[in-house]
Amino acid sequence: MSEDFRERAKLWPKGRLYEDFTLGEVRIHHWGRTITESDTLLFTTLTLSYNPLYSNRAFAEAHGHPDLVVNPLLVFNTVLGLSVEDNSEIGGPFVGVGKLTWWRPVYPGETLVARSTTTAMRLSASNPRNGIVTWRTEGFNQRDERVIDFERSNLVRLRNPTPQEASA
Amino acid sequence: MRLSELTGKANYFEDFDLGQVIKHARGKTIEGLENVLITNLVMNTAQAHFNEDAMKTSPYGGRLSYGGVNFSIAMGLAMQDCGENALAELAMDNIRLMHPVVHGDTIYAYSEVLEKKDAEREDAGLVTFRHYGVNQDDKLVFQGERTMLIKRRSHWGER
Repeated sequence: MSEDFRERAKLWPKGRLYEDFTLGEVRIHHWGRTITESDTLLFTTLTLSYNPLYSNRAFAEAHGHPDLVVNPLLVFNTVLGLSVEDNSEIGGPFVGVGKLTWWRPVYPGETLVARSTTTAMRLSASNPRNGIVTWRTEGFNQRDERVIDFERSNLVRLRNPTPQEASA
Repeated sequence: MRLSELTGKANYFEDFDLGQVIKHARGKTIEGLENVLITNLVMNTAQAHFNEDAMKTSPYGGRLSYGGVNFSIAMGLAMQDCGENALAELAMDNIRLMHPVVHGDTIYAYSEVLEKKDAEREDAGLVTFRHYGVNQDDKLVFQGERTMLIKRRSHWGER
């Protein structure tokens, strides 16, 4: 047996490629994420997202909220973030998002979990070494209430392009 | 605390006109502070956004800023003008990421009023904006639509 740990090491790979997806497959994504007050304040201030509902608790309470409102773009980015390993970690660039609805506000201390359904797959016409995969991603809070859903598409590399596809 | 004193006076529902385009005053340079921090904060595991060693030899020459960060900053740059008097952000659609962003690039934002509608509640209305993000070379890096529920001055202007 080799002495060197690097020679004995086996890579545990992450992420999925085009051939790994099947239409209609549903995946519950890993981990979940509790959103803290500091998360939303940091995100709101770094993105210059100036609406006092996100930065002033008394203002948010005067509008009927129990606490600061978590920045909706942080809700989106967190639910998408949780979906990355299953959907797009190694595949290729993020192309777009559509049909997004925020169904209810999220407050500090609440926990988000995410799941995705693969809703479309096709080979790229301009670059046949890649496919375009679309998912419907849904985010829920700790009470299983839907907080967000959206469609996302990414370019996803083929694991085994045919020689014709590979040379295109 | 008087609520109406804390936000702008010229961006209530009544103030937006269909087809109006706003050039937002501030830009923001994207660096590790924005890209790596937010990418990691939201548990996006794609190392193209945070492994400089792996990305040095890529066509981008370094880490790629995560698209969600890029358009959140473009939408953030638009927020004071478009959404300071919003009661809620309700929807987004047709978000397109058109050009890569790397550390050191600067994003500027523009917004166009696409649609105005009455809401179910009488004290606010629905406005759909198309936001644009352009880089320091004036290249369009992002465009996308966002619908917000915006206070009417008639109900909120004196509160």
